Amino acid sequence: MIERLLAVALLAAGLVYLGSAWALPLGSAARPGAGFYPVAVGVFGASVILAWLATALRGTATAHAVAVPADARGRVLITAGLLAGFCLALPWTGYFVAAFLFAGLLLRGLGSGWATALVIGAASALASNYGFGVLLGVPLPRGVFLD
Amino acid sequence: MGPLDGLVYGFSVALEPTNLFACFLGVLIGTIVGILPGIGPVGAMALLLPSTFTLQPATALIMLAGIYYGSMYGGSTTSILVNVPGEASSVVTALDGYQMTRKGRAGAALAVSAVGSFVAGSVGVVGIVLAASWLADQALRFGPPEYFALALTGLLLLSRLSGGSVIHAFVMVAIGLALGTVGMDSISAMRRFTFGSTQLSQGVELVPVIMGLYGVAEVMLIAESGLRKARIVTVRLRELLPTRAEWRLSSWPIARGSVVGFLTGLVPGPASVLATFIAYALERKVSKTPERFGQGAIEGVAGPEAANNGATAGAMVPLLSLGIPFSPATAILLGALVITGIQPGPLLISQRPEVFWGVVASMYVGNAILLVLNLPLVGLFVSVLRLPQHVLATLVLLLCLVGAYSLNNSQLDLWVLVIFGIFGYGLRKLAIDPSPLVVALVLGPMMEKTLRQALFMEQGNILALAGRPITLTLLLIGVVALAAPPLVRWWRPVPPQPPAPPHPTLSPKGGEEA
Repeated sequence: MIERLLAVALLAAGLVYLGSAWALPLGSAARPGAGFYPVAVGVFGASVILAWLATALRGTATAHAVAVPADARGRVLITAGLLAGFCLALPWTGYFVAAFLFAGLLLRGLGSGWATALVIGAASALASNYGFGVLLGVPLPRGVFLD
Repeated sequence: MGPLDGLVYGFSVALEPTNLFACFLGVLIGTIVGILPGIGPVGAMALLLPSTFTLQPATALIMLAGIYYGSMYGGSTTSILVNVPGEASSVVTALDGYQMTRKGRAGAALAVSAVGSFVAGSVGVVGIVLAASWLADQALRFGPPEYFALALTGLLLLSRLSGGSVIHAFVMVAIGLALGTVGMDSISAMRRFTFGSTQLSQGVELVPVIMGLYGVAEVMLIAESGLRKARIVTVRLRELLPTRAEWRLSSWPIARGSVVGFLTGLVPGPASVLATFIAYALERKVSKTPERFGQGAIEGVAGPEAANNGATAGAMVPLLSLGIPFSPATAILLGALVITGIQPGPLLISQRPEVFWGVVASMYVGNAILLVLNLPLVGLFVSVLRLPQHVLATLVLLLCLVGAYSLNNSQLDLWVLVIFGIFGYGLRKLAIDPSPLVVALVLGPMMEKTLRQALFMEQGNILALAGRPITLTLLLIGVVALAAPPLVRWWRPVPPQPPAPPHPTLSPKGGEEA
């Protein structure tokens, strides 16, 4: 099922890509334009994804999906959710707060106690902020309140 | 500069204090990431790539290459001691290495593994010197059609050899090639697939894609498996000395593994992994007592361990002589070269000898450091496994996030990291290898440029490309690699095999990174 869903999603993306590539100037064989190669890639991509989808729909699955155990789904979703949450929060809260929340909540979500999660979360946020922000001079976002 | 003069010059570069420290740091990090589940050499190299921006090109490459081959040592340590291969290329080592541990010969297995890796690394350096210099000379005759054919053949070989279904590998290649077209067209400067984003006009960054596919996806697998603790085996220093019989049994497997590994490394694909399987099968075949394999045969440790290190050296040949990477790890090395303003290719040896010879010599120095570092400190390295996995997972993810952001101070890179992390996790669950995607993303822009130049040269006659001998040979190799296995199967069908016996507990980092 996962394989079919992934194949359908990729086919949709491939068709959108191919459509956008057609809109670019193709040029001629002797003077290929900006769209020449993307069209070739799009046709190749759509063909192989169609072949994949066909084998998946025939039931001769070429991939062997390993199911996520029921008790593990929560941990996987928490990890994915916190990753997206970090990206959304970063411009608003700044790096330190976003990193602290991310690390603390992830540790808690993966099974640490609150105290451990908060201490390691704060320490890792502080250390990474110092390492990248101060030592390597990366201009990490400070958040809307400090800027 | 001849090979011998070049190597002497290379040692003078590699032994400069800064480069020596970079080499030490690289192999140390490599050993640790090899031991730890959660982040492999590719993820670690991608993570540290931004920190090399301010370094000299030779120093940056020496450090990143150190991580690459250092991880092979670390991966075998956990294979032997706890039956948990730190890397996919150490899976085979666990078969006999762990059995030796159970028989109280862990020290001997570790020592033979370290010496085998050192010998293979040294043989690999000689191989690079000979093969890369020759290949670079040949490559000076290459034009756009040859480069296009080489990249195409590389992708075909990679698709055939990356394991699993060819259709999956082709899908990964298509995604990589498509991603490579995002951004400004290098010839007409027209923006393509940027959806109005200024950041996207510079293209999709390689590093967050790799960090996502390898680092984040791996950590999500750790998150899925929950909290686990490894049982740590302690090894005393005096136990590290193999017996005379063990040395005798290991010497030829090390020699054969070194050569097999180096030659396998030249072929596009998961060379390190493939080399270990080939070396193991070879040792079993030539052994007078093949029934000992799987029961703690030291040849089953010596051959594969030499092979995976030999393969890392072999994989450097196309990168250093042609400027073409055929694996995600060498793709990052190429990225480091480009970032530091160096044009990779056959002229690298003559134009930037300090980079080429410095890196080659540093591999010998790094292997010597690894030998000294790994045996006495094996207990210390293994104790790294005591770090709770969920804490490790959190730290790795945080480093990936801040590392991706620091590339361009861009939110876009963060989203690329997260999207490819979740995508990579899905691929792991479907047992699909993402390495063809990474290599296609790197080779894609070069393929487009050389194809268009070649068509322009031949007045649009695509068949004329096949009239060039090198191009034709390369394309034929690709076609044969792709078509031969199904044809052989059709010609000589294999009878159905009985189900394989249950395998020992092997849970390497997924994917074939190197």
